[in-house]
Amino acid sequence: MGEAREGEGEEIGNKGGGGGGGGGGGLGVVRVLVVDDSPVDRKVVEMLLKKSGEMFEVIAVDSGKKAMDFLGLNEGKAESPKSDDQKIDVILSDYCMPEITGYDLLKAVKDNICSRSMPVVMMSSENDSQRISRCLAIGAEDFLLKPLQVKDIQRLRNSARPTAPAPSQDPKRKLPVDLIAQSNGSERRPHLAGVAAFLLEL
Amino acid sequence: MAATALKEQLNGLVNSMFAEGLLDEQFQQLQMLQDGSNPGFVAEVVTLFCEDSERILADLTKLMDQAVVDYSKVDAYVHQLKGSSSSVGTQNVKLACIQFRQFCEENNQEGCMRALNVVKHEYYHLRSKFETMLQLENRIQAYETKQQN
Repeated sequence: MGEAREGEGEEIGNKGGGGGGGGGGGLGVVRVLVVDDSPVDRKVVEMLLKKSGEMFEVIAVDSGKKAMDFLGLNEGKAESPKSDDQKIDVILSDYCMPEITGYDLLKAVKDNICSRSMPVVMMSSENDSQRISRCLAIGAEDFLLKPLQVKDIQRLRNSARPTAPAPSQDPKRKLPVDLIAQSNGSERRPHLAGVAAFLLEL
Repeated sequence: MAATALKEQLNGLVNSMFAEGLLDEQFQQLQMLQDGSNPGFVAEVVTLFCEDSERILADLTKLMDQAVVDYSKVDAYVHQLKGSSSSVGTQNVKLACIQFRQFCEENNQEGCMRALNVVKHEYYHLRSKFETMLQLENRIQAYETKQQN
């Protein structure tokens, strides 16, 4: 479930390019890095983002470690994104995860010169005021309670970096091969009609 | 007309699951996210939930079988299951997990064993209803596909 399959590429058609998002002042695609060890929660969040009417591009990972790898934050290396394709506009991370928690991830993002301006929104099923304060104190933009609702997506959108209007899209766009995943043995077909939100899962 | 009868059966089943407390309003949120462009969303989430739950229950059983129980590990797993059951709207499982966590906090082995059995009971009861639900959905889908062709 959620395993990356290497050696496969996938062509994605991107309809509905151009503006259309509300809130946050940006009109372009908002790239969200979703970090959650629960496959159920990842699935639900991804669908919420897809259905929100905003232009979200979702990259989902199942651990804090993978998030740090993706962001180039491991072992204290200050790396900037290698290409425009890897720029993230907001990180949405679960708080409770094994090994590297959401708090650890937040701290790593904020401690790194290259990434500290990146908005991080935390989420948790526990309405723990100390937990919330801790996260906000070190720079989390917001703290959402799970299960997320439709209204939380606007808060996420408001926390994201302003985005440039989406460029005119090529009819097909190749995804990085190691970001494609399958779950439950069924292929995930990107949803193209209406909102252009396509899904990558590590 | 068979599809209509099946749909009525499906609605009846889901309504009874709400009435029985197996499901809560979060499940309705998931149903609202499903549409023509994502017709299998609820089924996918339910399937993921069941797989994840069974993995967690197996791990919990192993942990509780240890001579010395690591309650922090047990609690971590129960927290996971509580989280996913909350996200899907499986109310009775969620409530059973909340109770289980109380016993974990107290390092109460007997309480934890009983709570694990309650969680399993609630989960397997729910799973059998979900299986029926998905079977009905598949049959409805098959009829509707046949109608279109």
